[in-house]
Amino acid sequence: MLHVTSGMRAQTPAPWITPKPLRESKVALISTAGLHRRTDEPFRPGAIDYRLLPGDVDFADLVASHVSSNFDRSAFQQDPNIWFPLDRLREMVAAGEVGAVGNWHYTFMGAQLDHNALREAGEEVGRLLAADEVDLALLIPV
Amino acid sequence: MRPPRALWVPFALGRPLGSADDPEFQKNVMRAAFDMLETVSEPTIRDYWIEAPSEAAAEDWVCPVSFAPIKDGTHTARLVAEVARLAPWSSETRATRGGRTLFGASGVAADDIETVAKALGTLADDGDMTAAPDLGVTWKFSMPFLVRHLADDMRTFYHEAIAAQPGPGAPNHEALTTWIFGADGQAGTALGDALLAIAEHLSADKRLVSLLVRGWMIPEGYFRGGNAFPTAEEFEADQGGSTSLSEWFSADAPER
Repeated sequence: MLHVTSGMRAQTPAPWITPKPLRESKVALISTAGLHRRTDEPFRPGAIDYRLLPGDVDFADLVASHVSSNFDRSAFQQDPNIWFPLDRLREMVAAGEVGAVGNWHYTFMGAQLDHNALREAGEEVGRLLAADEVDLALLIPV
Repeated sequence: MRPPRALWVPFALGRPLGSADDPEFQKNVMRAAFDMLETVSEPTIRDYWIEAPSEAAAEDWVCPVSFAPIKDGTHTARLVAEVARLAPWSSETRATRGGRTLFGASGVAADDIETVAKALGTLADDGDMTAAPDLGVTWKFSMPFLVRHLADDMRTFYHEAIAAQPGPGAPNHEALTTWIFGADGQAGTALGDALLAIAEHLSADKRLVSLLVRGWMIPEGYFRGGNAFPTAEEFEADQGGSTSLSEWFSADAPER
C-alpha cells in the first residue's frame, strides 16, 4: 500500500457555511458506492466521473459497479437505504424534520487513489446541486 | 472531499447507516449527522456512539441446498449445475424484494445467471485472460475487468440464494465468503473453485492490471491464505513492461 499512500496529502477543510435550519433545507444524497441505474454506463476502475439518480429512482433499477470486493454488499442487497437512504429522507420530509428532497442525487466510484482527480467532477456536481436549489448534501461513503 | 462536518460511525465496511431494514436506526444516524449543522461552529469529526445491532455469527448460516459434491467435470459444468440448484432460492429472495436485485452489472439480463456461470466457467477452464467469453452478450466491461464483475454478479446470486433460507436472516459478507470459498476444512462451492482457478490464471498473466483484478475478485484471506493484491515482487516485475495503469484506469480508455 506504500505505493498508494505516498502521494496522498493532508486536506484543509472546505469553507465554513452556516446553513438554513434543516426543516427548511432541501437535501441531496451523494454516494461513493459506484451505484447507477442498470441502463447507465458502469463505472470503470478509478473512474473520476459521476452518475446521477433522479429523486424518484426505483431501487429495482440500481446496480453497483464499485471495484472493491472487500466491503459488504449484503446489507445493500437486503435494504438499499443502508447506502442510499432515499426512503429515510422522504420519511423525514413527511415528518417535518427535513424541508425537501433534492430532484437529483449523485454517485461516484470510491476507492480513489488521487482525490485531486475528482476536482472537476466534484465542482460540476456542486454547480448542479446549486442549480437544483439544494441546501445540504449528505455524503455517504461505503 | 474536505467535508466540513463528518460523523465517524462504528459500523462494518459497506454498512454506513449501520443496520438494514431498521429505519429508526438509520434515521438516528442521519439525525446525528444533521445535528452537527446546529451544534458545531468549526470543521469537526464527531464519533457516533451507538453500535449497530449485533449480527448472527457466520457459522449460523448454512447452504439452503443439500449439495451432493459436484467434484467431477469442467468448471463450466460444475458451475452451471450449481446455479441450477440455487436458482429457485434466489428467485424466492427476489420475490420478497419486489424483484429488486444487484445482479446484472456485467451486462447480462437480470435473470440470466446461466450465461454468467458459463462465462466464468469458460474463463476458469480455458485460462485466457485477454478475450471476453463469446456468449452472445454485449459485456459492459472489457477483459480483465469483466472477470471481477462476473464474480460480483455470481456473489449477488449466491447471496440471494442463501438469504432465502429460514433462520437468522440474510448472511453478511463474511458468511457469504466462507460459504463460497470454504473454511476450517469445509469444502467451498464450485464458484469458489472457479474463482481460485481464475486467480491463478490472472497470476500467470502477470500484467499488473490482471493482478489488481485478482485482488478485487478474491476477498482478503482467501488467496493462498492471504491477500490477493499484487505483491511487491509482482508490482516491480511489471514496471516498464505492460500498459500503464493510468491508461487502463482512464475514463476515456478504449474498449479492449
